[in-house]
Amino acid sequence: MLKFIVRRVVWTVPVILLVILMTFVMMRQIKGNPFQVTERAVPPSIQRNLDRKYHLDKPWYIQYAYYVKGVATFDLGPSLVQRNQTVNDVIKEHFPVSLKLGLFAMIWAVLLGIPLGVFSALKQNSIFDYAAMGFVNSGYALPNFLISTLLIYFFAVKWRGVTGFPTNGFEGWHAWILPALALGHAPMTVFARIVRGSMLETLQQDYIRTAKAKGLRWRRVVGVHVLRNSMIPAVTAAAPLLGFLIAGSFIVEFIFGIPGIGRYFVNSITGRDYSVTMGITVMLSVIIIVANLVVDVLYGYLDPRTRDARA
Amino acid sequence: MVADRRAEFEASLIRTAETRGQEAGAALQRASLLRDAVHRFSRNRAAATAAFAFLVLIGFVFITPMVVSASPYDINFENAYLSPSWAHPFGTDEFGRDLFVRTALGGRVSVEIGFAATIAIMFVGIVYGAISGFAGGWLDNALMRFLDALYGLPYLPFAIITLAIFGTPSFWPMVVALTVASWFTTARVMRGQIITLKENDYVRAAHALGARWYRVLFRHLLPNTLGVIIVFVFLELPGVVLGEAFLSFLGLGISPPKASWGTLAQDGYSSYQSHPYIIIVPSLAIAWLILSAFFIADGLRDALDPRTRSY
Repeated sequence: MLKFIVRRVVWTVPVILLVILMTFVMMRQIKGNPFQVTERAVPPSIQRNLDRKYHLDKPWYIQYAYYVKGVATFDLGPSLVQRNQTVNDVIKEHFPVSLKLGLFAMIWAVLLGIPLGVFSALKQNSIFDYAAMGFVNSGYALPNFLISTLLIYFFAVKWRGVTGFPTNGFEGWHAWILPALALGHAPMTVFARIVRGSMLETLQQDYIRTAKAKGLRWRRVVGVHVLRNSMIPAVTAAAPLLGFLIAGSFIVEFIFGIPGIGRYFVNSITGRDYSVTMGITVMLSVIIIVANLVVDVLYGYLDPRTRDARA
Repeated sequence: MVADRRAEFEASLIRTAETRGQEAGAALQRASLLRDAVHRFSRNRAAATAAFAFLVLIGFVFITPMVVSASPYDINFENAYLSPSWAHPFGTDEFGRDLFVRTALGGRVSVEIGFAATIAIMFVGIVYGAISGFAGGWLDNALMRFLDALYGLPYLPFAIITLAIFGTPSFWPMVVALTVASWFTTARVMRGQIITLKENDYVRAAHALGARWYRVLFRHLLPNTLGVIIVFVFLELPGVVLGEAFLSFLGLGISPPKASWGTLAQDGYSSYQSHPYIIIVPSLAIAWLILSAFFIADGLRDALDPRTRSY
């Protein structure tokens, strides 16, 4: 197990280097001059000095090396547009907001999605099952921006007197509820589907029949044998869900006016603040890679058969 | 002399046996597999309904602009914000443009982008996966490690950066951006398929009979992945359409006066408090597409491979 973990951890280093390289190469293809703030051209001497300051006069591999060094020391460089801010400042200011939102969304997804999946599977083909799966499937298909907008329309505009939810902002706990619901909706449906599927599969296993046959109470069979063995796929689903969450947070933060990292990313692209764009992309990549690592290790722990195959 | 002729005769026997067996086997299998699949698919009520719904949507999107006389671009402020009525089934927008036609036309853009990107994703994924799985060894290893690294890239930021490289977002940049950000899964699945199929006896037999690698690949391996490819078309399409909608909603997509479902939703979002139907219509169209494609994929998977049952 330790060997597996070590191998897996060591392997992430070249992966992160490669991801930085990919992002780096792509960012270099974007045209436009971030230093040109007004319509006027930047004087050549100033441009030269700026290039030198940001190492832009060096060949690309030296720049890449500088960047990797920066990432390794958690220094993502200065913002190119807001001169008094570094990319670290931007991330420090906006990332906790996104993290909080994502966490709330995930809690909601787990709290509703897993029970939905469990009970649908236990009552397969019942009215509850059909209703739950209808809800889950339609919820899966409705785009994030519609859910967000409808939530605002009903809970924050029409029934404002009853609920007291604000339409946007992030002051106070009740401002977080609607965005968390909107963002957590898609992961919730994924959890429900996966848990239901794996529950049904587990219920057909021989050891469940054995447990039933030897007279275990049904509640205990479900609690000990079925649930535990059905949760493994839910764990593996968590890593791809992170991508879901990140993509969704772009929309949800945009609609609810939450100053998170997703909204800032879109602003940085339109404002040509390349170092911020790149810094955020690299940071998100590292998060995804680390999450994949954690899930792999967790999976290897929960299901030892996968250790060799996944190393 | 005699021995030579006997060897020749035997070889020709083997050859004819091989080709005959293949032709016979292939013809027989193709007819029965296809007929079986169609039969199973049409017996699956959810899948058949979904296929019908999908065709209705495609028909609406492509036929409406040809039939309906209202222009999608004519601005008439007297008609602004008309609620749905007989003259304007989906109402009108802030410029008095008929939303029925605009939804169809926007849908055409969305669906065309969706199909173009899906085809591109399938092509890239199949080529990459087939090379990796068929070659094996160090090449397979290198390609898969590279893919692992790409999995670390966040989907939406990656697509946004690709769009930024092109500068102005229009049809083809959109297709490229969506393809670049989402071909990984197809490649990985294709590789898995090829590797599994490679172990089959008929592939070994082909090798033993002296078939060249391209014959094995194109005659035996790729045709057998067709089922998975068809299923994946319907799994990728909704993702791509949704991705396009997300990007357009964030203001990074098709520019006005042209529209896609995403830009229509964005228009609707700007006036959701007073006229919520404007955002609901294109969002439901997206949901319609996602849901029908999803059930079609489900039905196809069951129809093409009866061993896997979906719960």
